Amino acid sequence: MTPTREQKIWMYEHMLVSRYLEEMIEEIYMEGKTPAFNMAAGPIPGEMHLSKGQEPCAVGVCVHLKPFDVVTATHRPHHIAVAKGVDLNKMTAEIFGKATGLSGGRGGHMHIFDPDVNFSCSGIIGQSVGPAVGAALSRKLQKKEGVAVAFLGEGAVNQGAFHEGLNLAAVWKLPVIFVIEDNGWGISVPKTASTAVEHNDIRAQAYGIPGHYVPGNNPLEIFRVAGEAIARARRGEGPSLIEIETLRMAGHFMGDAEQYRPKEELAMLKARDPIVAMRTYLMTVDKMSEAEDQEIVTRARKRAEAAIAFAKESPYPRGEEALEKVFV
Amino acid sequence: MAVDIIVPKDLWEEEVEGVIVAWLTEEGASVRKGDVVAEIMVKKVQFDILAPAEGRVRILKKADEIIRKGDVIGRIE
Amino acid sequence: MTTVTSNVRKQTIARAMAEAIAQEMRTDPRVFVMGEDIGQLGGVFGNTRGLFEEFGPERVRDTPISETAFIGAAVGAAADGMRPVVELMFVDFFGVCMDAIYNLMAKNTYFSGGKLSIPVVLMTATGGGYSDAGQHSQCLHATFAHLPGMKVVAPSNAYDAKGLMISAIRDDNPVIYLFHKALQGMGWLGTEPASIVHVPEEAYTVPIGKAATVREGRDVTIVGITSGVHHALKAAEQLEQKGVSAEVIDLRSLVPLDREHVINSVRKTGRLIVVDEDYQSYGVTGEIIASVVEADISMLKSPPKRVAYPDIPIPFSRPMEQWALPNPAKIVAAYESMVK
Repeated sequence: MTPTREQKIWMYEHMLVSRYLEEMIEEIYMEGKTPAFNMAAGPIPGEMHLSKGQEPCAVGVCVHLKPFDVVTATHRPHHIAVAKGVDLNKMTAEIFGKATGLSGGRGGHMHIFDPDVNFSCSGIIGQSVGPAVGAALSRKLQKKEGVAVAFLGEGAVNQGAFHEGLNLAAVWKLPVIFVIEDNGWGISVPKTASTAVEHNDIRAQAYGIPGHYVPGNNPLEIFRVAGEAIARARRGEGPSLIEIETLRMAGHFMGDAEQYRPKEELAMLKARDPIVAMRTYLMTVDKMSEAEDQEIVTRARKRAEAAIAFAKESPYPRGEEALEKVFV
Repeated sequence: MAVDIIVPKDLWEEEVEGVIVAWLTEEGASVRKGDVVAEIMVKKVQFDILAPAEGRVRILKKADEIIRKGDVIGRIE
Repeated sequence: MTTVTSNVRKQTIARAMAEAIAQEMRTDPRVFVMGEDIGQLGGVFGNTRGLFEEFGPERVRDTPISETAFIGAAVGAAADGMRPVVELMFVDFFGVCMDAIYNLMAKNTYFSGGKLSIPVVLMTATGGGYSDAGQHSQCLHATFAHLPGMKVVAPSNAYDAKGLMISAIRDDNPVIYLFHKALQGMGWLGTEPASIVHVPEEAYTVPIGKAATVREGRDVTIVGITSGVHHALKAAEQLEQKGVSAEVIDLRSLVPLDREHVINSVRKTGRLIVVDEDYQSYGVTGEIIASVVEADISMLKSPPKRVAYPDIPIPFSRPMEQWALPNPAKIVAAYESMVK
């Protein structure tokens, strides 16, 4: 399965949108946080888990999805939300805690919910799995179109929720795909110190489902593997597990000095930027011109800028609105 | 003889400012050489500042004040 | 409270916890530490800093993100003669491992007819106020205190933090050790200066199950725990300006609960306000008030008041979260409504 030129451009552009949005968030997040880094200060308070470097996982999978398909994501959700088509303005407003945000400021960046495109996420490791399995079950019971994709980090596969969810999905042959973004690090603990196997695709065997490992953080390879797994699920043939080698270009959260991370690895981050690699690929293989690139870059940047502007201009909720929306 | 309590120049690499999170002693308190007298924060990382000598502490920069590498934040008298 | 002496050695709660664990590890080879990012990183909240360097990876063990496994393992190791200190990074994460906590750790002593001792210390971070939203900001005091079989402690300052940690490690029963992030002395979480106090170098204990009067007064008793104590102390200062003398009690332990201490104070003041950052309903505030009312309702000059977190998930957005949190102004207002 190979992407069309249009699909490749779509992937490139959505990686850019996510990256630009995060770069802008990164800058605004630091306002009020230097030199004293107080998490509570500034226009964007709280934790901030950036996804830069991991964009290929999101676009390579989500390019195959329709709005009616279901995606559940992690505490590091921006790239996936962008690729799933979450309303960018409302998502950004949510990250700023504004009244116009997806949940009126109740959730923040770890709790992005956009039912219009069937996207949600959780700040609890491994808890993307159950809801995706349930969504897939619902589609099967209702004989409704659509698959579910659960994104999770490589650290999450050592949670019970992962193993229980895989078995449940397998035994009920549900249309769900588990996508592990393996960035090598669970906060400060490397995968080698926490996970007994080198690659988690092997764990699919324990549940009798196909497992795939995708090295290289390459959107085109991810496209191929995810495309086949999603098509299989759509045909009613059951779940698949995919582990993608990816790259955490930022710290676990903003402000993380990453003293635990080898200096050589940190030094190589920029050289391994998947967006740069994709641009080079498009220019050489797909003959993307400088002008076309500029056009895409400008379009992506403008979307991110518009979202930031919307968030900044939006009002904060009133304090007492906290009492609302506990129940429907 | 008084000895300055200095933020070591090699405590962190980047050219960024830090802040004193807390003094772990009090004005006039006596300390031994090597005691942790203050905690400072650079980005999200906290560092210990040790007493360079034995004696009584004089605090020159208070908690929450901004500091740079090489700054004198107090004195041991 | 702190008097200037010639050898004041202040500590943050984070440091005091780490020092207590280190001192116990030096004298008791059965003590070891497990948790996520507690090794080289020293704990996300700093309370295991220096332990990995001193004791190495055998006794200071970074775990996979597998709370059910390592908390369950702590129960098994404790039953077999070890004294594990385990960290659940945020108390909010109890959901993935509560079975190991309340069905194993809390009950195995009882199931064994008292033959088995389960000396686990489970330390975990509580509290909000810094916009970390509903899965990283809870206190859940009542959730743990409600379930029989576990002691529950929660210090408000570094002195108690060290003494309670040593008591917890030496206790032959499971102890839940709750530490509030805003009191931890981690600059990036804001720092409550009043939690940084003199801590003796030598090992000492603070008894589990004993409250402390941290400010004496005549007109009203304000009871709190962790952040609530600091809100209460600030409110007491404001009340003093208005000529009101408030007594502040730091519960320090939720299980066992020092009801006598509170009752004796209310007997003196006749008024009671309970402050808690945990959800209000079915919580610590209700338990304290019930304990006083059950003892002797006639000592109350007015209905007691509570200043607690409303019964809502914790919102991310700053204006909403700050509106919902307890604070000194709400305590002062509670007092004023009592005497109106």
